[in-house]
Amino acid sequence: MLNKESYDRLGESIYQTTLANGLRVILMPKAGFHKTFAIMTTDYGAVDNAFVPRDQTEPVRLPDGIAHFLEHKMFEKEDHDAFDLFGQYGASANAFTSFTQTSYLFATTSHLKENLDILLDFVQQPYFTAATVNKEKGIIGQEIKMYDDDPGWQSYFGMIGNLYPKEPLHIDIAGTVDSIAKITADDLYTAYNTFYHPSNMSLVVVGQLDPEETLRWISDNQDHKTFGPASPIRRVPSAQSTPADIPATQTRHLAVTRPRVNLGLRGFDTVPAGRAGLQYSAAISLMFDLLFNDSGDNYLRLYDANIIDDSFGYDFQVQRGAHFAQLTGDTDQPEQFAQELTAILRDAPAQLEAAKPQFVLVKQEAIGRLVGAMNSVEAIANQYDGPLFSGATIFDELAILEDLTFTDLQEASEAFLSASQQTIHTILP
Amino acid sequence: MHFRIKNGVTLDLLPTKQFKTVGIKVDFVAPLQATAITGRALLAQVLETSTEQYPTQTALARELSRLYGATFGISVLKLGTKHVIRLTCSVVDEQYLANYADDAPLFERGMDLLKQVLFAPLLPGGNFDPATFTQQRQNLYTAIKSLDDDKQYLANRRLQELLFTGQPTQAMNALGDLHVLSGLSATDILGTYHDMLANDAVHVAVIGDVTAERVQSALAQWPLADRTEPTSDPYYHWDARKQVQVGDDLAPVVQAKLNLGYQLPVYRNDSDFMAAVVFNAAFGGSPLSLLFTNVREKASLAYYASSGYNPFNGTLTVQAGIQAENQQRVETIIGDQLAAMQRGELPATLLDEVKASLLNARLSALDSPQRRLTGLLNVHLTHLSEPLATWQEKLMAITADDVARVAKRVTLQATYCLHGGDQSAE
Repeated sequence: MLNKESYDRLGESIYQTTLANGLRVILMPKAGFHKTFAIMTTDYGAVDNAFVPRDQTEPVRLPDGIAHFLEHKMFEKEDHDAFDLFGQYGASANAFTSFTQTSYLFATTSHLKENLDILLDFVQQPYFTAATVNKEKGIIGQEIKMYDDDPGWQSYFGMIGNLYPKEPLHIDIAGTVDSIAKITADDLYTAYNTFYHPSNMSLVVVGQLDPEETLRWISDNQDHKTFGPASPIRRVPSAQSTPADIPATQTRHLAVTRPRVNLGLRGFDTVPAGRAGLQYSAAISLMFDLLFNDSGDNYLRLYDANIIDDSFGYDFQVQRGAHFAQLTGDTDQPEQFAQELTAILRDAPAQLEAAKPQFVLVKQEAIGRLVGAMNSVEAIANQYDGPLFSGATIFDELAILEDLTFTDLQEASEAFLSASQQTIHTILP
Repeated sequence: MHFRIKNGVTLDLLPTKQFKTVGIKVDFVAPLQATAITGRALLAQVLETSTEQYPTQTALARELSRLYGATFGISVLKLGTKHVIRLTCSVVDEQYLANYADDAPLFERGMDLLKQVLFAPLLPGGNFDPATFTQQRQNLYTAIKSLDDDKQYLANRRLQELLFTGQPTQAMNALGDLHVLSGLSATDILGTYHDMLANDAVHVAVIGDVTAERVQSALAQWPLADRTEPTSDPYYHWDARKQVQVGDDLAPVVQAKLNLGYQLPVYRNDSDFMAAVVFNAAFGGSPLSLLFTNVREKASLAYYASSGYNPFNGTLTVQAGIQAENQQRVETIIGDQLAAMQRGELPATLLDEVKASLLNARLSALDSPQRRLTGLLNVHLTHLSEPLATWQEKLMAITADDVARVAKRVTLQATYCLHGGDQSAE
């Protein structure tokens, strides 16, 4: 029943199956490890606020921040809090919500079976009342305000808001103090019943474990529960902005010591489906390495001109329905920062050709970093993106990276950059 | 495996096949002096930038790429009465790479890189390269200033200044002081560099699938001389004040950051140290704690409300993000939790849970090469080392009375609030 894939050179094996109720289970034993990390994820995040509820026909639009609010409220039950159940065994538990996913996790060094039962039970047995919902509004209100005071967060979401002015990505994951005030227990049940069916979820367990035994524990837990049949998720497609909707620049003033610039680049091309999407993602990441990483000529030139410093960074993200890059840093020369990065991106084909001799190095570096990430049970589990890349694992990613050619990189770069639109979000003191 | 390489120079090897990397850590430990903190921070920044063989950060970064994405960095930290310059380097174990072709294994190449950084920095004409020096001094300047953009950090820094008025070694950030920094020259840093190489205690540690022979032979290439063994202990002792220091500042923040500072004069070598660790975890150090439960879950007054304990300078701190108008209420709840613990009213279930979570954390740390390497510094500074089983026995033996005894030694010393004034009362 468990499908085993072995990677002899790495000395690792990974086991996968899909249970009768649709839950995808991925297990990876790590020899010599003391800890086991488990993460249960639903393919439901902050952007999914308009959908047709399960067993209904009409679409609903729920208040902003509902997915994150639901994440908070899953822990509290009628007569206990799931945190305390994990606490009995010393396990540490947490949860987080992104644009497209919500995840619940624990790490433990003992009582794996008991902790797995707690995780599966608290995620699969909702309990929401008006009183518990109202109590949470104060806590989440403070969480929102904490991020209001965080310039890094403001810079990131300012950039995202520019790139996706009509899509729900422009709304803070936690919503606003006003939007969460409207959330009711019924709203939470509507969202829960639609998106927390096992067929929309995965459970990844990495670390000290025996795969067969762990699967048996999970199956036993699931066999005692009944779920309705799996039914397709019906999201209401959001409004789509066009490149013309994206402001070229936006400037805000905040209490910071130095200007902070975030150059965002939204792809309007289509990310290839399945694992080809992972190859596309790896290729674009290497493209940014070639253009901007600290072993390149651009970096040294901009560093020596004091346009960038050690705060400079960049990344490329692919999520369900969105892919974008950000290049960000603190700088005393925000205009030059934006101009120089823009010029490099505009000249990317020639720049990449010139940097071709470095390709083998940046690829080697990416491979080394990925192999190093296999030291961490959290990194292995968090790398799993579920349906996004057709269930690709960290080992698939490594194989894709090892096979990647400079031509692959050029093709993906051409596809991304030629259909991309840029914004520059600047925070000034 | 522990080796004494020279007087004042030690090597620890943690041989294991658990990881796909080999990790290297080198600590240079000096007595903490207010006048030296800034210079050592700048020296770390300059050494991290380039070497004679790799004269730009790009040349150095390219070498790291050639080493399959080796990570390398130099950081500074303060611990009690000690200042540490820490070099870390982690390389992949090449047995896990498909096409590794170089004759030298990555561990030896990583050790050689550290040797270049430490013993062959970029010194044209016998002093640090002026352009590099000036640029890195400016970068450190902006880095120190930018720290205050993190308002939680800023509130804690202000609290430390209140707690340790007139005690700059403790009040000062590990990166140093802006005024001192502006006056530093390349020649000053060169003096700091020679002083560090000649006089600091040096603790090298390696973790991974390597033999003692390989590590010793790589380390033998480093020109490290004998030095005086440090004798002073790492604990910073200070006198509690009768009067609580109170401070606040107005800043453009949406959320007020409330920070409280206490004296908890139980140091790492105190027989009550383990009880103090349990106390902190139960008070505010974990999501099960009294602060999390009462400030956040029951009263809905905060998203974060936690405590931290420093067994090298005898402090306990509490931090919470709140509405400014709730400050009194939050302080009362925090005070009530401490008073309850001082009366010995620690629920038995909470005590058991906290012990289980501390054990879980200790075992989990064994799965992190970085934490296993950095944890060795404690052993070197305190000369306290105990097998896991002994540690666990001590932990499990802690009673509610032990925790209450520690709680009674906690005295409030300072409260600080960074807030937005009237504008935050919405």
